[in-house]
Amino acid sequence: MSANIIDGKVFAANVRQKVASKVADLKETHGITPGLAVVLVGEDPASQVYVRSKGKQTIEVGMNSFEHKLDVDTPEEVLLALIDELNADPTVHGILVQLPLPSHVDESLVTNHIAPEKDVDGFNIANVGLLGTGQQSMVPCTPLGCLLMLRDYHGSLSGKNAVVIGRSNIVGKPMAQLLLNESCTVTIAHSRTKDLADVVRRADIVVAAVGRPEMVPGDWIKPGATVIDVGINRVDTGDAKTKLIGDVDYASCAAVAGAITPVPGGVGPMTIACLLANTVTACCRINNVSSESFLL
Amino acid sequence: MIEVPPNPRYLWGKPIQQRILADVRDYVKNTSYMGRLVSIAIDGTAEVSVYIRNQAKVAADVGIEFEQQFWDRDITQGACKAIIKGLNDDPSVLGIIIQRPLPSHINVRLLQTAIHPLKDVEGMNPESIGNIVYSDIELAPCTAAAAIEMIKFLDLEIKGLEVVMIGHSEIVGRPAAMMLIAEGATVTVCHNMTRSVAMHSRRADVVLVAVGSAHLVGRDMIKPGAVVIDIGINQQESSDGKIKIVGDVDTEAVAKVAEWVTPVPGGVGPVTVAILMRNTVLAHQRQLQSIWREVG
Repeated sequence: MSANIIDGKVFAANVRQKVASKVADLKETHGITPGLAVVLVGEDPASQVYVRSKGKQTIEVGMNSFEHKLDVDTPEEVLLALIDELNADPTVHGILVQLPLPSHVDESLVTNHIAPEKDVDGFNIANVGLLGTGQQSMVPCTPLGCLLMLRDYHGSLSGKNAVVIGRSNIVGKPMAQLLLNESCTVTIAHSRTKDLADVVRRADIVVAAVGRPEMVPGDWIKPGATVIDVGINRVDTGDAKTKLIGDVDYASCAAVAGAITPVPGGVGPMTIACLLANTVTACCRINNVSSESFLL
Repeated sequence: MIEVPPNPRYLWGKPIQQRILADVRDYVKNTSYMGRLVSIAIDGTAEVSVYIRNQAKVAADVGIEFEQQFWDRDITQGACKAIIKGLNDDPSVLGIIIQRPLPSHINVRLLQTAIHPLKDVEGMNPESIGNIVYSDIELAPCTAAAAIEMIKFLDLEIKGLEVVMIGHSEIVGRPAAMMLIAEGATVTVCHNMTRSVAMHSRRADVVLVAVGSAHLVGRDMIKPGAVVIDIGINQQESSDGKIKIVGDVDTEAVAKVAEWVTPVPGGVGPVTVAILMRNTVLAHQRQLQSIWREVG
C-alpha cells in the first residue's frame, strides 16, 4: 500500500485563490480592501525572508500590505505605540509582529497588545482562551492549515481518534483545540508520554509537531491513517549540504499511511496562505460581512 | 457529627477543602482590607440558591464578605454588562461570580468576558482560560481546578500519567485537560462523539468524568488501580420517590477496582467552593501587584 500524498503547494494555491476571490468581492460589493500590517524588529535574515514573502503574497491576492521595519534596538514603548496606531487604523485588518523579537522586548506583552480582532497570528491570550473554549476566535495559521487539509481529505472528522504529538503553544495545543471542535477524540502526547508508539498506533489522524527529525517511524502508524507532518528540521546530508526533513520518517510512514503530507511542500506552504485567509476573516468580522463559507 | 467513610477507597473532599480554607483564613486574617465578593444570580432557581448559600457560608467561615445580588429575569444583556462594568470599576469589589444557569436571552460567555480578568475569581474570562492553555494554571475555573487538586492530594506524579477526560465542556472538561497537559500528563479527551469511551478509559491511570449522565462509568471501564474523579452531579429519583444526588460514576461498583474514587456528593463539590476562595485570595494578590488596590 502506498499513501496518497497531500500536496501542500497545490492546496495553498487553492486557498490563495479563494482568498483572492473573497478580496475581489469585498472590494466590489463593499468597497473595502483588506489590509495586513507586518512589523519586523531587527534584521534577522530568516525573518526578513518571511516578511518579504508575506508582503508579496498579500499583494498578489489583492490586499494592501503595510510593512513596518524597526531598528533592532527600538524601545518596547515605541513598538507598543506603533501597535496602538495599527489597532486604531481602519485600513489595517490584520497585524502580525514577526517573532522572535529582540531580547529587550517582552514578547507576550506585545502579542497581547494587538487588538484581538486584528490578531491574525491568534497568539493574543484572549484568542487563545476563546479557541480553548470552542468560541469564535482568530486561529493560529499553521494548525489552521493542517485542519483545512484534513477537512478536505476526510470531509467530516467527527468521532475519529486523533493524536497530536507535541504540546507547543503555536501548533500542538491549538491543533488539539481545533480537532476537539471538530468532535475528534483527541490525545495530546509529548516528550513525557510513556509509550508513545502505543498511543500513536491508536490514531486515525496523527499530527506530528515536535521538531525532532524523523522521530515517528512507519511501524507506529495504523494502516490507512492520515499523517500530517508539521516538523521542519534542517539536517546535514554529509556532503556539506543540508536538507529539510519532517518529524516523521516519510518513506516508512508513506508505506502504511492512507495519506501523508511531505516535507517540504506539505504543511509549510499552508501557513502564509492561512495568514492571508485570517486577514480576510478579520476584515469581514470587523465590517460585519459574512466570512463563513469563503474557505469551503 | 462524625463522618465515617463507608469505603476506604473513597476520596472525600472535606479534608482537602479544609486544608485549602485554612490557608485562605490565614491570608484574610493577615490582611486588613480584602473587599467583597459579589455573587450575581438572575432569575435564580432553587438549585442555584443552594449553591449560593453554600458559597456564602464558606466565605463567612473564612472571613470574606459575600454580597448576594439577585437580578430580575427581564434584565437585558446590555444592562448586565453595564452593571458588571460598574463592579469592575468599584474598588470595594474584590471579585465577581456569575451563578449559572442564566435565562436563555442572556449570553453567559459575554458576561464572563465583561468581568475584568483581575476580578475573575471563577477563572472563566477568555484571558484566564488563555493563560491555562499557555500553561499558567494558577488561576483556573473552580471545578476543573478542584478535580486536579484531588489528584495532587494523592501525591501522584502527574508527569507521564495517562489521563482520560470524559466530557469536553468549556467550564470543566477542556480547562481540566489543558491543566493536566501543563502538568505533563498524556491526555485524551473523550465526549459524546467518541466511538468507544471504554477503549480509552480502560487504559488510563486517571479518569475524570464530567458529562452529567448518572452512573455512565461502570467498573468495566476502569483499569484496576486507577484513580477516578467524578465531577458529575445528577438528580435521581429512587423507587420511594425521593430525589438523591448521584455522580457520573457508579461509585460503589468502581470502588471495587479503582484505587481511589471520589464520591458524589462529598467529593469534588466541597473542594470546588474552597478553590473559589483560593482564587479570591489570588485575585487580591494580583490586584495588589498591579497597584489596583492599595496595600492596607
